[in-house]
Amino acid sequence: MNGIHDMGGMHGLGPIDREENEPVFHHAWERRAFALNMAAGFLGDWNIDMSRYAREQMPPAEYLATSYYEHWLWGLERLLVEKGLLTRTEIEARVAELRRRAPR
Amino acid sequence: MLRAADVGTVLLKGGPARLPDDVAPRFKAGDRVVARTLNPTGHTRLPRYARGRRGVVDRDYGVFVFADASAMGQGKKPQHLYSVRFAARELWGPAASARDVVFIDLWDDHLDPA
Repeated sequence: MNGIHDMGGMHGLGPIDREENEPVFHHAWERRAFALNMAAGFLGDWNIDMSRYAREQMPPAEYLATSYYEHWLWGLERLLVEKGLLTRTEIEARVAELRRRAPR
Repeated sequence: MLRAADVGTVLLKGGPARLPDDVAPRFKAGDRVVARTLNPTGHTRLPRYARGRRGVVDRDYGVFVFADASAMGQGKKPQHLYSVRFAARELWGPAASARDVVFIDLWDDHLDPA
């Protein structure tokens, strides 16, 4: 699809920010989001190309305003809902629960 | 079923997309090709900036899962995957360096003879 992921030749995005000794993950949740993607992949309900396509379908404005592993999480949620493994309502309920429990 | 103890070994092995299928290549190294003008609503590995542009097949990697089909649940559609060389000027116009080239991995279904 002609999505926002296909950025080759686009201008105005600024220089690439190179980080010395960049860690694989910058936050603990990123590690978890990646691991969830790998683990859920072994359910066998989709393949690697389908998971790429899922991430490509993030709305363009949201895609540009979010980080790499947020894309991975968004794509995973989409696939889980699409394949009937979770409902959007179940995800929202869990997010609300975690928000209530989070320290302020 | 993936067991916790096997995760390291399994992930290191990866999931190869190379296939043993005997499929004839449509092109060989040195062939002039043009990338198709496609605007699929599904997944494609053919970047927008290369569509309709002329390049040269640099090498044939062999037979692979066609990602564009696989992403849409249409099976593996085994076919040859190539490294295709595009001159920077073909892609970006006369202001680009005459020496620069871009290599893009493209499948038979992305290409026509030029």
